[in-house]
Amino acid sequence: MSGIYVVLEDRKGRFGRISLEAIAAANILAAQSGSKPTAIVIGAQTEALAAEAATKGVGRVVRIEHALLAPYTPDGYTAALQQFIAAESPDYIVFPHTYQVRDYAPALAARLGRVLIGDVTQIAEGPVFIRSLMQGRLSGSYKSTGILAIISVQSGAFRAEETQSSPAEITTFAPTIEASQIRTKPGEPFRGSAQTVDLGSAPMIVAVGRGIREESNLSLVQDLAASLGAEIAASRPICDNGWLPIERQVGSSGQTVAPKLYLAVGISGAIQHLVGMKGSQCIVAINKDAEAPIFEVADYGIVGDLFEVVPALTEAIKIARQ
Amino acid sequence: MKIIVCIKQVPERDAQVRISSSGKWIEESDIQFAMNESDAYALEEALQLKEKHGGEVIVLSAGPERAGTTIREALAKGADRAIQVESDNLNQLDALGVAQLLSAAAKQESPDLVLTGLQSDDLGYGQTGVIMAELMGLPHASLILNVEKTDNGVTVKRELEEGWFQNIDLSLPAVLMIQSGGTKLRYATLMGIKKAKTKELRKVSAADLGQSAAPAATLEKITQPQKQKSTQIIPGSPKEAAATLVEKLKFEVRVI
Amino acid sequence: MSLLSATLAEPQSFATWEKLLLSALIIASAMLFFRRLAPILNRILKSRKDPNFSLAPLRKRIWDFFWEVVCQAKVIRERPLPGLAHAFVFWGFCAFALVTLNHFAVGFGLGFLDPVGFFGRFYSWFAAIFAAACAIGIFGLFVRRFFVRPRWLGEKISYESGIIAALIFILMVTYLAAFAVKSASPAALALWWIHSLSILVFLPIIPHTKHLHLVLSPATIFLSRGGFSKIPPLVGDEDFGLVTGKDLTQLTSLQSYSCVECGRCTEHCPANNTGKELNPKEIILGLRGYLNEFGPSSEQNIIGKYNSITADFQCTTCGACEYQCPVGIEHLPIIIGLRRGAVNTGAWEDEHGAKLFLALERGSNALGMSASERDKFIQKQAFPIFDGTQEYCLWLGCMGGYDPKGREIVADFARVMNYLGTSYGVLRKEKCTGDPVRRLGNDLLFQQLAESNLETLAQNRVKKIVTICPHCVRTIQEDWKEFGTPPEIEHHSEFLARYADKLPKRSEGAEGFNPRNTSTIQERVSAPAETPVAEQRQVSGHDFSHAENIPDPSGALAPAPQTPNNKIVFHDPCYLGRYRNVYEEPRAVASLAGEVVEAPRSHERSFCCGAGGGLVFLGEETGDRVSHNRANELIATGASTIRHPCPFCNSMFRDALAEKGDAAPQLLDIAQLTARALPKSSAAQS
Repeated sequence: MSGIYVVLEDRKGRFGRISLEAIAAANILAAQSGSKPTAIVIGAQTEALAAEAATKGVGRVVRIEHALLAPYTPDGYTAALQQFIAAESPDYIVFPHTYQVRDYAPALAARLGRVLIGDVTQIAEGPVFIRSLMQGRLSGSYKSTGILAIISVQSGAFRAEETQSSPAEITTFAPTIEASQIRTKPGEPFRGSAQTVDLGSAPMIVAVGRGIREESNLSLVQDLAASLGAEIAASRPICDNGWLPIERQVGSSGQTVAPKLYLAVGISGAIQHLVGMKGSQCIVAINKDAEAPIFEVADYGIVGDLFEVVPALTEAIKIARQ
Repeated sequence: MKIIVCIKQVPERDAQVRISSSGKWIEESDIQFAMNESDAYALEEALQLKEKHGGEVIVLSAGPERAGTTIREALAKGADRAIQVESDNLNQLDALGVAQLLSAAAKQESPDLVLTGLQSDDLGYGQTGVIMAELMGLPHASLILNVEKTDNGVTVKRELEEGWFQNIDLSLPAVLMIQSGGTKLRYATLMGIKKAKTKELRKVSAADLGQSAAPAATLEKITQPQKQKSTQIIPGSPKEAAATLVEKLKFEVRVI
Repeated sequence: MSLLSATLAEPQSFATWEKLLLSALIIASAMLFFRRLAPILNRILKSRKDPNFSLAPLRKRIWDFFWEVVCQAKVIRERPLPGLAHAFVFWGFCAFALVTLNHFAVGFGLGFLDPVGFFGRFYSWFAAIFAAACAIGIFGLFVRRFFVRPRWLGEKISYESGIIAALIFILMVTYLAAFAVKSASPAALALWWIHSLSILVFLPIIPHTKHLHLVLSPATIFLSRGGFSKIPPLVGDEDFGLVTGKDLTQLTSLQSYSCVECGRCTEHCPANNTGKELNPKEIILGLRGYLNEFGPSSEQNIIGKYNSITADFQCTTCGACEYQCPVGIEHLPIIIGLRRGAVNTGAWEDEHGAKLFLALERGSNALGMSASERDKFIQKQAFPIFDGTQEYCLWLGCMGGYDPKGREIVADFARVMNYLGTSYGVLRKEKCTGDPVRRLGNDLLFQQLAESNLETLAQNRVKKIVTICPHCVRTIQEDWKEFGTPPEIEHHSEFLARYADKLPKRSEGAEGFNPRNTSTIQERVSAPAETPVAEQRQVSGHDFSHAENIPDPSGALAPAPQTPNNKIVFHDPCYLGRYRNVYEEPRAVASLAGEVVEAPRSHERSFCCGAGGGLVFLGEETGDRVSHNRANELIATGASTIRHPCPFCNSMFRDALAEKGDAAPQLLDIAQLTARALPKSSAAQS
């Protein structure tokens, strides 16, 4: 028994990248003890999910399954996990820091007399868990006291491994849950507007921010995106203005993306936006302010007037592609 | 409806935070404080519910003496009375410890609804409301943008990732964690502040509420964040820089 | 000549029944007069006392009274011909004082001005000259009101004005006609009775019409609040501004009854001139209507039937109304008082307004930006930090600290200060002075900002402030007084003007100071064009070589305008001109770089750019844009540069000029042109 557990989260039947990142984080902890982590999938029908999880480089997979575990409710998940933890006594539980986890993991921790160390960006020797304070201006180093450490890891902070492994062992755990324990009734998810684009799977994204100044200037950026064959995205103000639909918004209240190339045009890099894209493999920033926070996370940066740089770049790309 | 709103006084958004000499917290001597942003939205939601359905809005805040100004601000915006849990070492408590203090105070009031902000601008745990719900044995929902009262309780609109939303029904009493931006905030008025002077602000010491066990997680130290990678700034005129970038994209990043 | 030997004819004597009739008529007239006046006086006196009001300094009051009432200065200055006509009517009334007294005395056989005696004759002729002027004047005004019909007098035909005009005309004519008839003749008697009846009918009409100003306006002018746009402090815990009748003060009530409906205020109002609802005259008359219907102790909200909240919030606080008013009405404290009543009670619901207030509740500046942006700017410019040892504190303000264009002005001004060797520093932390929230009526926020800033200034031991923004100057110097003692502050135009002779002029073709404006200030540049630039190099303590100090001839006005001409049209900002009476200093600085020409509306008549009163933060305006109206006027002068000393004007005109494209004149602050004339070696590029 490794003692390190990682709870995976599925979206529409598939694991998001953040779940794989959580496995990577769990592996860092596991390396210290020399064994592999145990993945947990939760739901009403978890067979397919478990099969997929088994190939992700974990020691084993546990299916916590119960009819009342779909749809997600905090009461259901908390009760199920609590029972499981009582049965297996883990040393570490690693969650992906998603909206859903934030909704139940603290309650679960409290029920166990523990506390969640959330939104961890780094795991150092100790283990010491590092997370941001003061909206990114400072870092705090946390240690868990006591037998069980519960953490959640920030999206994009840990690099998900692409490797496939031979399937690990899958076991099932059936918690006891009464309908009366479920105290919230969730409705069907709905969109603000009709969905037309999936930024999450785009390999290249050109994102535009307030530096574009006016809606009529968007064509500059659209040309650039077209020349690259990239999708267009935007920071929140652009979508708030209605210049681009909300599903193109990248950030803490929009999409989280990690494409191969993220080209940020006229985006200052406020933390709410950074959170949505800093996991991208290569970040290029164009901004006229050399002090803009976006440059902190960029791999390449051009400090200049986007109204001059972007057309030049579009031209150069067109030539390079010939 | 009897609504309790939990608010926290945090360093002002513009404050230049410096690490204190002990390395365990920030230097508080010359920064200014303000109400946590999502707590302001929680307060606004509570006030709107009171205006629609009647009842009472009680502000609950844990913190040192200086938190009194922020509590008064909440009273000025329209809350009816306030409870301050006096605690000078809030930063040393973990989320569970803080939630225990607040829950103990809230339980005494038997509220219909407890609203908290989604997360604090300083520590940013984002857990207090959820833990309070657990400790008080109440249902909860988080990332709430809108609260509507129904015959059976409340229906709330929850924010999901990637532009999705969800409505959730809960019966009262319940705990809700309110997300920023769901509604328009009201500004503080002179009339509000004058009225606030006569509103009750009851102080309770943390010790009176029963002390919690040692924290389950400790903040060992605070540091400046490391930049994890270096940024290559490409120099030259727009044409030159563009050409250089394209080269890098072609040969180093390999996307062209 | 028979004309000169004419004397005023008087009836000989009156029978007892005539005397009784006369007495009865006088008593009736007086009673009707007081019956109408008393309630008005009552309403004024029953209004709340004005806090902070004191008669001292008496000298200013006496001077203003003399200048505005006796000399009719404001009446004449703005509208010369009708103003002069009115002045004669007024002077006629004054001259007639003794005449009228004597006239009624004659009715009781107690006449004391013998028309044939030396003094009586002299005086009756003296009065006759005024009577003639008055008659011509009133006739002219009658024609203007009923035939020319200027817009400012309103749409409705004012019958009462016609009647009054007729009565005055009859009075003058009957007086003059009495010279042409024989004493003790039936004609003299007839004229006497017509004259008397006219007066006795006139008297009770006065309090029923705007002619009440005859009685009230001398008092109104004498009892002014004691300063331009003097906003009274709030008193006690129940005072939130002008919410209900109970909040109206004696001065406010007095002023609302003094209005003569001349429309000068509305004529100059930038909001009214661009199609908005705001009409300053209607605001004052609205208060009058409110007082007539509800009275000064009413708890009825003023905003409503007699006052529109929309109009209240369209005011840019430019002050043109208050400046023009010939009867001493002070519009600004009233409009701001109405706004206070709406904002301090939370009654004003406006998306942009709330956003502004929330930005200042949580942050340090009105633009809602992070203070670290200002820090970055300071670092980049390498401004010295104020540490108590420097002479001046350079106050950046919100526009200077965060607006990219405002920053350019600050950077240029700093370059000039470096060149002059001035010792200055910039504060580490600044909060908005609170000007927009003060003018919008949010006293809670204003107090917080003022007190916080005053503390910062005291902690840093700031003694003197210089800044580029007239709004900061006004707010710091005047409005902060309510919460402490602000340090000395001056505007950068005043600062630069003092050193104008040490600043380089454009080397070729510099016409120097435009002699059209000859009002003197010690600091104005008096050097004629032939003076070599080298002589103007100042001993600054810096080691500039001679060669370095000659400004680059081609760089003085870069980039070159389309049709390069030397003309610079100067725009007077409201908060520097009308509020602070600073007109010549910025012109002196502007004239260093070319010939200063004036826009049609300049100096005290300058037309607002539209940003004041917090309006620049309130989003889109209805109607035409104030800034465009003014920009068009400035462009029409044909000058190739517009110069101004205010970052808000800069911002507003920039937007307006952007629509004109390349043909637009250059827009520069006075600091910018000055900096461009400096030798290139001073300070780094911004």
